[in-house]
Amino acid sequence: MEARAETKDIRNWGDFVQFILRELKPKGDRLLTPFNVISAPVIVLGVVLIIYRLIHGLGSPVTNLSQDFPWGIWIGFDVMVGVAFAGGAYVLTFVVYILKSEKYHPIIRATVLNGLLAYVFYAGAILLDLGRWWNITNPIIGNKFGVNAVLFLVAWHFLLYMLAELIEFSPAIAEWLGLRRARKILGALTLGSVIFGITLSTLHQSGLGALLMMAKWKIHPLWYTEFIPILFFVSSIFAGLSMVIFEGTITHRVFSHQLDAEHSRSYDDILVGLGKICAVSMFAYFFLKVLVLIHNRQWSLLGTPMGYWYLTEVVGLVLIPCFMFVQGSRHRNFLLIRVAAVLTMLGIIINRLNYVFIAYKWYVPLSDRYVPTWIEIVVTCCIIFTEIWVFRWIVNRMPVFRKPPEWATKGFDN
Amino acid sequence: MEGFSYVDIFATKGVEYLVIIAFLILLVWLWRFLDMSK
Repeated sequence: MEARAETKDIRNWGDFVQFILRELKPKGDRLLTPFNVISAPVIVLGVVLIIYRLIHGLGSPVTNLSQDFPWGIWIGFDVMVGVAFAGGAYVLTFVVYILKSEKYHPIIRATVLNGLLAYVFYAGAILLDLGRWWNITNPIIGNKFGVNAVLFLVAWHFLLYMLAELIEFSPAIAEWLGLRRARKILGALTLGSVIFGITLSTLHQSGLGALLMMAKWKIHPLWYTEFIPILFFVSSIFAGLSMVIFEGTITHRVFSHQLDAEHSRSYDDILVGLGKICAVSMFAYFFLKVLVLIHNRQWSLLGTPMGYWYLTEVVGLVLIPCFMFVQGSRHRNFLLIRVAAVLTMLGIIINRLNYVFIAYKWYVPLSDRYVPTWIEIVVTCCIIFTEIWVFRWIVNRMPVFRKPPEWATKGFDN
Repeated sequence: MEGFSYVDIFATKGVEYLVIIAFLILLVWLWRFLDMSK
């Protein structure tokens, strides 16, 4: 059976309001699924805690942040890791729209949507980590632009990239609303926004790494290097694609009823292709790490406890998954590719957290080190669950996995 | 002034060139290896 999106007929504002109200109602047979039962209370509690944090600030009992450890999991996990995982969108749009590889076209909308939501929620979480959060608009509105700060670049890039991804995804919104003329215009804007988005991504993925250049004496010498921006950029390629593999594995089961036979068949080839790209980019990343290690002559530190931790990250969660991707792609072993993707994601999480608070001020005694509070963990889970809820809401309504309506693919009659 | 010996592969960054050359050779091998999917 071919899963195609339905065509809506919206003629005036009344139709539009009625349509939106209808779409806001839950879809699906069961509301009390295990995921809903776990995630709904966490989201409600998280929203209450976010309001509490915005009123009472970052101090105890909300976070364990201090002058020694000013960045915790809200920056380290939500922003640093979230943005790296969103990298799949710029890599795949480059492959599909610039290199014209149609093989990956069936997953492009889901990937762009995932990237867009990751930026909205995870990069948006930067708001929670700003002491004076109400000043977040300053770099945009010009009340002290702060042009000398790396954060000025990051703030503008996040904003512009979210807009670029919204434009890339907007044809699906137009198809959902049945807006034929708008679909035509938005479709024509896609290539431009893709080029703009890729340019922005290369700069702000590395820009996040450049933020850490200020902390030269606070980051362990095995991690600190003047090449952090390049390492962040290269690692965002396989981080993003591993997320695409992981997310695709789950969504292809959850939304299997929306996929047509052709899409399901081509997915195996897509998985192998993604595994190959991951393998090559991880191979390059590993050599960069070796090069940096030799350049800085820090090999004597490899025999220390932090050195073992470094080797766990670089060998255990980069080199080994790289070989797993190679073997998985060669032998079309999909399980191996998926396990490699999970290990790679774990490696990226550890890598970013190392920079933010594990290898950061490594000389501080364990008892004085930063450990996230339960509030920080619940808020992080709340952000992740909310993103999944929004993703599911959109996928159940817009043509993300389903084929677009016929009028959108056949041409435009008005 | 502290000089360096031309035979010191670390001081001359020679080892870094060797790593890059090894990487490029291995990259070609990896590419071909991946293309020979079973």
